[in-house]
Amino acid sequence: MGYVAVRGGTEAVLRAEELAACLRLLGGSSPLQLPQISDQLRHAVSRAMHEGALYAPLLAALAVKQAEGDSIEASFLLRAYRTTLTRVMATLPASGRAMACMRRISASFKDIPGGQLLGPAQDYQIRLLQPLLALEDDDALAQALMRYAALVAAGAPQAGAIGHFPKVAAYLRTEQLLVDPPLETEAEPFDLTRQALAFPCPRSARLQALAQADSSSLMTFAYSSVRGYGDAHPTLAELRYGYLPIQVAHPLTGEAVTIGEIEATECEMVSKAHSVSNSSAPPRFNLGYGFAFGQSEVKVMSMAILDSVMTQARLGSLSGASGPAANEEFVLLHCDGIEASGFTAHYKLPHYVTFEADLRVLDRAREHHEAQEP
Amino acid sequence: MYSVTHILSCSPAQVVADLAEVVLARYPAAAVTLITGPRMALVQLRVVEGVAESQFNAGEVLVSEVRLELAGQFGFGMVIGRAFKHATALAVLDAALRMPGDPHADLRPRIAALGQALAAEQERRFAAAAATRVAFDTF
Repeated sequence: MGYVAVRGGTEAVLRAEELAACLRLLGGSSPLQLPQISDQLRHAVSRAMHEGALYAPLLAALAVKQAEGDSIEASFLLRAYRTTLTRVMATLPASGRAMACMRRISASFKDIPGGQLLGPAQDYQIRLLQPLLALEDDDALAQALMRYAALVAAGAPQAGAIGHFPKVAAYLRTEQLLVDPPLETEAEPFDLTRQALAFPCPRSARLQALAQADSSSLMTFAYSSVRGYGDAHPTLAELRYGYLPIQVAHPLTGEAVTIGEIEATECEMVSKAHSVSNSSAPPRFNLGYGFAFGQSEVKVMSMAILDSVMTQARLGSLSGASGPAANEEFVLLHCDGIEASGFTAHYKLPHYVTFEADLRVLDRAREHHEAQEP
Repeated sequence: MYSVTHILSCSPAQVVADLAEVVLARYPAAAVTLITGPRMALVQLRVVEGVAESQFNAGEVLVSEVRLELAGQFGFGMVIGRAFKHATALAVLDAALRMPGDPHADLRPRIAALGQALAAEQERRFAAAAATRVAFDTF
């Protein structure tokens, strides 16, 4: 057996792709239509969009279909597609205050102005499979319309009531319960698509990296910090999901032009902030921020926890062991699912030459080992 | 309550296209000059975060964009998603509503009616969420 560099295999690669494409349909089920995916697999579509860093629900549905449900592959497809289009401008700054909320909860205060709206949520369901879902037919649509109409009637539509609410964080700030926010001196926010990350990085770079990060990685880092490999003790100040109007500047006049709405989730997390570096300052809470396309609640909560932990670590205000999640460089360089999966997956590709080198090193090491033996 | 562009970008594309047809019917075909588009493009989403009220880039939004001139008046149309017809109609209406002397003032009541329909739809949307408002019992 020889160890040599190789080339070729094109025909095998093409047939492998064809085989994968065939297997998707050989079961005999009807091909999925994109509206079915965007309507009925909302969370998969949301995840493809925020990890792909591209808001495009129908294209995300296509990516989910093409990737056969693999979330990282779907986001990879979207991010690759993104590179084929021209960026014509940036939006005007969009604030969650303008969101038409469908869901808005706080774990900090029972009574918040406007009240707590559970909205579309499955947090409180018992995790039991619903066999009736397997039997759904066309009547399900008519029934859903009737149930929705009943919900609308129960909510009693009122003129002008479309879900605008003040932020809970604004109340905390008014009551001087929050530490002063870190000062940002950049004229323009950092852009990961144009600039390489260097550490320490601006907070805008951190937020951009976290916003497009792999949800599971963020959850794992945040969980480690909360569970004991860190000192985070977060409480949800506010989580809101809904429709955010997006505006750009008119190219002729500069006036604000609304171009539609996107679905988004936003959250702020408070956590205790012991003042280690500045003992003269009164104790206050620290605040972290999370944002993602679609309805993506664990992602934004994890992002907000990590934002808070990293800010505290940079200020030296963590009271206990900081843990790996407080290491901004470590987290930001390893949380991108597309980079991580790409690097891991590349080990499936031929490494015949490098492995041959490894074998030669191993042979020399063995010879050396044998020579050392008495 | 809503701006004209909010109403037109969030209304059904066909309804907005019908409104643009009303405008186009008043001009010869040669009065419309496309400058760019219709084309797909990206806009970078700037978000104001809730800690320091600073801005960061939260990703890109896929948009359709058209820039044109209608009888010498510049018009700009942009809408989220792949929607060339919608974007073109928005550009036509933008140009029409910017013309000196407001020759298409008759469009405004029709746009206001669209705004009322949009408001009613969004009030219904929120009402479904309002039905899930929590009523706490205090022990």
